[in-house]
Amino acid sequence: MIYDEPRYMPGGDRYMLIEFGNEMNLELNFLAQGLASAIVANHVKGVVETAPCFASMLIHYEPEEISYDDLKREMGRLIATLGPSDNIELPSRLFYFPTAYLDPWTKAAIDDYTAKINPEKEYDAAFVARLNGLSGPEQLVRVHSGTEYWVASLGFWPGLPFMMALDPRCVITAPKYNPPRTWTPQGTVGMGGASTAIYPVATPGGYQIFARIPVPIWDPKRRSSAFEDSICLFRPGDRVKFVPVSVAEFEDVERQVADGSYEYNVVGYQKFSVAQYKSWVAGLDRTKRF
Amino acid sequence: MLEVLKPGLETSVQDYPGRIGFWNQGFPPSGPMDSWSFRLANVLVGNQPGDAGLECQYMGPTLKFNRNTVIALTGADMAAKLDGKPVPLWQSVAVSAGQVLEMGPARAGTRCYIAIAGGIATDPWLGSRSTFHQAGVGGMNGSALKAGHIVPVAAGTGMAGRTVKQSARPPIRTDKRWDIEVCAGPNDDWIDEEGQLRFLSADWKLSSKSNRTGFRLDGPQWTFAPKATNKPPEHGSLPSNIIDHGYPLGAINLAGQTPIILVNDGPSMGGFINPYTVPSAAFWKLGQSKPGEIYNFKQISVSEAQAMARAMKATCSESSII
Repeated sequence: MIYDEPRYMPGGDRYMLIEFGNEMNLELNFLAQGLASAIVANHVKGVVETAPCFASMLIHYEPEEISYDDLKREMGRLIATLGPSDNIELPSRLFYFPTAYLDPWTKAAIDDYTAKINPEKEYDAAFVARLNGLSGPEQLVRVHSGTEYWVASLGFWPGLPFMMALDPRCVITAPKYNPPRTWTPQGTVGMGGASTAIYPVATPGGYQIFARIPVPIWDPKRRSSAFEDSICLFRPGDRVKFVPVSVAEFEDVERQVADGSYEYNVVGYQKFSVAQYKSWVAGLDRTKRF
Repeated sequence: MLEVLKPGLETSVQDYPGRIGFWNQGFPPSGPMDSWSFRLANVLVGNQPGDAGLECQYMGPTLKFNRNTVIALTGADMAAKLDGKPVPLWQSVAVSAGQVLEMGPARAGTRCYIAIAGGIATDPWLGSRSTFHQAGVGGMNGSALKAGHIVPVAAGTGMAGRTVKQSARPPIRTDKRWDIEVCAGPNDDWIDEEGQLRFLSADWKLSSKSNRTGFRLDGPQWTFAPKATNKPPEHGSLPSNIIDHGYPLGAINLAGQTPIILVNDGPSMGGFINPYTVPSAAFWKLGQSKPGEIYNFKQISVSEAQAMARAMKATCSESSII
């Protein structure tokens, strides 16, 4: 559901959360990204920074410069000026990543979690496949790798992309870990709710994990030209395609990354048209899985 | 300059308010957990309140000073000695070149702050000197201090013998119980009324699985409002799952049944609800508490939380020095 009126909620003395709706769709993400841009363009006084996400936006504000109520009024005014999303066309790069699905590294992290924290935990790939009515881990790989992913926002960790499957036939959902894992290998691909993420570094985490990429997605030392503009590889509006590879191929790419010869596989000339995307989706039989 | 002889348990360079403006790329602010004590240490030695200093956790370092300077120690009592003589807390102290500051385990409180006249002068990274350990950025090459590190310090002219008046010091508790202010929201409406009352009346024990990214709490089970269970599947299937959203700093993040307070190095986004938020002016209590100690939460309004922050800012100034 997209709300008729956005919902405003306080987070302590310095934060406001604006929720645009109660579901994951691109419309809501365009609204969040659009509002973030409008705040910057309008130099709204007292806004320190924003963090747009799938269906919401967090605002960090300075209460000595703007009150909570004034900020709420100002945001309402800006949201009203945003146009319909059908008109939106965005520069959108497409990244291809060699991806080892059902790999030994995420398996080791799950085994460690099972041994130390929750012995009841079922293997993530089998668990997610079962919950989504798929035949098993192999079909999960086919479905998960069968779509492009939309980078809706960055967060949780520097450079970590929160992504949405663009092909509705590949949308799968999963609960998060309870309690969370204390560690996850760098480059792990995982999902929670309906979002897919890549862990930029080894961190704690709550997503179900079943794949790994050998390619860095953030680099504070900027060792590759891919990081010239930012130490984070992605920008909102980028797309990602996971290409299944064997462990041997994964390790080969890992060596290329280590010796500096790896070239990022990225398509840079495309634009993403919201109207064209919507008309493509309208013609799909959403009940069919790959 | 100062030389690290022993690093202590986890001593790091921090500044206040830290690395601000990169939340949308996932960079936390970092910075001192008890910014009340931290700012006053800087004021004592004549620095700006936010200049870079050292945060010492649980067990302080042993440092050798390579030139005459003025330092101040605030926050937790780590039985600091300068060439074997006790160093008072909350007071600026003259140090001569070659003298050694030796600190031990925290007695009252958990985090001790060291300010040095001029401030620490490591290279800023994205506009801040604060150390973000987990990502290896800021501070001394992205890490806590290590033995042998030479920490650069800017030139400064501090005065010894200045003291923070008693009424301006944070009242660090030694009875292992803390009353912590919280504001309701953003997602308090996901918790049922009983659950809200339970949260505000229960004893919450700070878990040893806590660090500068999050403080885990052990306590009673949570119960939820209908909206936590009747929701579209993309939220995830646990009652505390929500479509990934931005996290306020200080959010009490409900990961399944485990509440985790997101502190200075915490995550900027994720898929769990945040029923309550610890306001900025109560962070110092988190910074001075130890695993095993008990938190009791007390709900205040957003405007009360903002008034607390204003009062603390006014306290962290020259007006508190005698």
